[in-house]
Amino acid sequence: MTIAGREISALSREKTIVLALIIQLFIAAFSSFLVVGLTSLYDPGSAGGEIEVGVSGDQQDKLLDAIAQSDSVSATVYESRAAALEAFENRAVNAALTARSKQTEQGNRIAVDAAVPAESLETTLIVVTLRDLLSDLEDSERSVRTEYLEFSPVEIADDPAGTGSDFTQYFSFTYTILLPLLLFLPPFISGSVVVDSVTEEIERGTLELLRVAPISLTDIVDGKAFAMILLAPLQALLWIALLQFNDIPISYIPLLALLVLATATITTAIGLLLGLLTGTRQKAQLLYSMIVLLLFGGAAALPEHPATTAALLAVDSPTVTTFAHVAGYTLVAIAGYAVIRWYVGRLDPESL
Amino acid sequence: MNPRKLLRIARWEVTKNAGGLDRRTIAVVVVAVAGLALVAPVVGVGGVGVDDGIYRVAVDDDSQYDDVVANDSTFTVREASSRDALERGTVDLWIGERGVEPADSRKGAAAYEELRESASTYNNQQLAKEGNQTAAFPVSVTVQFREQASLNTSLGAGSGNSDGDDSPATDPDDDSPSTGGDDSETDQSGTEDDATGSVGDDDSTADGNTGGAPPGGVTGPLSEDELSGSPADINPPFPFQSLVLAFIFVIPLNFLIQAYGSTMLSERLKRRGELLLVSPVTRLDIIGGKTLPYFAGAMVTEGAIAVGLVYVARGELGGLISMLAIMPLVLLFLGATFLGSMFARSFKELTFVTVTITVVLTSYAFVPAIFTDIDSLALISPLTLVVRDLQGEAIGFQGFIFSTLPPLLSALVFFGLGSGLYREEDMFDQRSISGKVLDALAGPISRPYHVGVMTMILIPFVFVIQLLAIALLFATGDLSVPLILVVVAVVEEIAKSLHIYASYDHNRFDATARVAIVLGIASGVGFFLGEKIALLAQLVGLQNLAVAEAGLSGGVADVSGPVVILFLLAPLVLHIVTAAISALGARKNRRAYLLALAVAIAVHFVYNFTVVRSFV
Repeated sequence: MTIAGREISALSREKTIVLALIIQLFIAAFSSFLVVGLTSLYDPGSAGGEIEVGVSGDQQDKLLDAIAQSDSVSATVYESRAAALEAFENRAVNAALTARSKQTEQGNRIAVDAAVPAESLETTLIVVTLRDLLSDLEDSERSVRTEYLEFSPVEIADDPAGTGSDFTQYFSFTYTILLPLLLFLPPFISGSVVVDSVTEEIERGTLELLRVAPISLTDIVDGKAFAMILLAPLQALLWIALLQFNDIPISYIPLLALLVLATATITTAIGLLLGLLTGTRQKAQLLYSMIVLLLFGGAAALPEHPATTAALLAVDSPTVTTFAHVAGYTLVAIAGYAVIRWYVGRLDPESL
Repeated sequence: MNPRKLLRIARWEVTKNAGGLDRRTIAVVVVAVAGLALVAPVVGVGGVGVDDGIYRVAVDDDSQYDDVVANDSTFTVREASSRDALERGTVDLWIGERGVEPADSRKGAAAYEELRESASTYNNQQLAKEGNQTAAFPVSVTVQFREQASLNTSLGAGSGNSDGDDSPATDPDDDSPSTGGDDSETDQSGTEDDATGSVGDDDSTADGNTGGAPPGGVTGPLSEDELSGSPADINPPFPFQSLVLAFIFVIPLNFLIQAYGSTMLSERLKRRGELLLVSPVTRLDIIGGKTLPYFAGAMVTEGAIAVGLVYVARGELGGLISMLAIMPLVLLFLGATFLGSMFARSFKELTFVTVTITVVLTSYAFVPAIFTDIDSLALISPLTLVVRDLQGEAIGFQGFIFSTLPPLLSALVFFGLGSGLYREEDMFDQRSISGKVLDALAGPISRPYHVGVMTMILIPFVFVIQLLAIALLFATGDLSVPLILVVVAVVEEIAKSLHIYASYDHNRFDATARVAIVLGIASGVGFFLGEKIALLAQLVGLQNLAVAEAGLSGGVADVSGPVVILFLLAPLVLHIVTAAISALGARKNRRAYLLALAVAIAVHFVYNFTVVRSFV
């Protein structure tokens, strides 16, 4: 325990743990920035303003009807496609649409040719708006032709609460990407730090000094491991508190903490084993990151990926499988740590 | 520097370095890499489905929504006897006689919207099976991405108009035999291919400056010049390839810098590096020799990846441009790690330093590549060059210089500062990281004009950070310009004054106000001269974006006459004044320095903000 305390105080004195927290915050901020930025790019409502399209072609009336229904598009009619395109080139309109009737074997189809800006931040917005507009047109055209169709499309009314699809994306991102990222980074870093801690003692030869103290090698290893294992759930709880503070409710917090604790124990056990086996940082770190990445990727073979488990718990949709996974990780963690202790106990301190 | 000695040290590094990898380790690594390669496609294709089952729905078996829910893995069906389940919070959506009802929560709203989207996906899937495809998909869309006249020079592009008009008109007619009657989804690749050919031609006539895409089907699977299909098929271009590429190219570098950092730091443990330092070789031989194997290894790996990807994408050998583009990135990773391992006192610190490097540089490589639509912005990242190379697009020399020179120069600065610390007295002492930073900066400074030179040396660095900030803040819309100005003020003022503080910290100069002002002038002039690197941005026309304009040139717009002189002099005066302010603070102590720095930043920001407000 004393050694655990020493490890923690050494860490805080080095201020490196602060750096680690800042990095994690940066990663989190960076990824949420990315998604907020991208969704605002993709969402017509958030960017504000409507787009102006130039309309031409023999089927323009149907297109104009659809535009009249939409509140994010307004139209200007042009004589020909050439005129519409010229207006487009001169930036008088955001996009040029030409709707023509096209004969196929089974009847007429409306072919819409759309020209949108090639290099503009608004391109995404314009394309998404046009897609919605044309989908409305498609729906109304389809409803005229239902007699030719066997399948009747499922209808769902617009959201009564009025939230857009970007909200769904943001919601799902928060729970399925951001939260797992924040929860699993601390265990990964914990294991990495244990590798450093062990190999540094071995490489510098300071393990000798610790062993002069009346403690066994197992105690030393325990101390180093406990410090890092406990630090991970603490960081995780900090992130959870931060998310809660931002009005993002997180359910099953104790179970999430347990999940992080178990993961941290597993990564730490791997780190310890590699550190003791190889004795040099270069090898141990390389192997550690490889193996942990492999395990995390390989976990896809499980019925539920650890990230999914975390997301399901946090979003309050766990199933029996989810609980079973948490229990499973806990068991693996206990067993793994027991194996490490057994290995350390058998290890001859002189051989390091 | 002596090549023979350098190579000998490189050979030692490979064969008998203290931390060298033995066969067993390599075997394990190979197995792990093979395992990752096996797992990666599964994860990459989205087989993991992280959002599986996050929304709980109560739905009857005979409801028409049952199939929709079953079709989307983000939903999980829960048994619920009555609508009360909605209030109790055990389900998020209740689908009964009154249609779909969401729970009164954020989750309920999200679930409802998700159901709407999956219903539309489901409809399209079902309709694709219909016999009468014209009735099922009565609207077909072709979206072309066309150049518009640029805001300032509408005349120049006007000539392109007339060419552009007739080819799109013929274009859809070409498609119609193939699109008509068929399932538009399965046919999509066919239409896309022959359409891109004509669009490629179209582009190159409309604007000659980007080099355009080569005609025909050479553009390959990465091309996004045109979209076609039913309305649901047209999705805006998403930079998925850039993401994948970023990871493919950057991940090996992360492992590499782990090993490189370890070997550099282990020289500093137990005074091991002493042996090499006392041998008759120069510092640069040692650093070069120890770096060479890692650099070569990285280039071989990245080269293999580049050639392999080019072969997959274009079916031919190539990838030289990709390798050249990725080289500055490799050097940047190595340089940052080298400096980091000179700063760090222990492995633990090194780990944190490496993680920081990884995160920052990965975002540098990746974020700009997101904006593939916006040429000049995307080119900030060298990875964009790789994407272009893979697509077989021509890359302009100017664009190449713009995206590779700043990281290359920054890498050299890193190596230069680090090698300044590769001395006995610095390597084996235990100063803190911040102390080491000051050591590195103060090391080469002994006369006032050195301060100005040092400022110039730091400029590539400032430039890279500003470019990254532009890319990062670009999407924030109206806020972006003020935010950029804040970043600019902070970064530039720190770059102008940190080494002044460092040299005062090392008692290089007298702590009088006169000397401080001299140093401020030196630094300000140095910055003013070095800042001209920002002209690079004009090579690719980045200044056409308001954000970039604000960030890089402080809003110096196109003006003529005597005003020009004012505009040339005003930044010079500004840089001198702010540098002198922080120098005055730096001569006293740390707190005074931070205070003065804050004042300087504020002055800088106010100046920039006023200029941008009144001229842009």
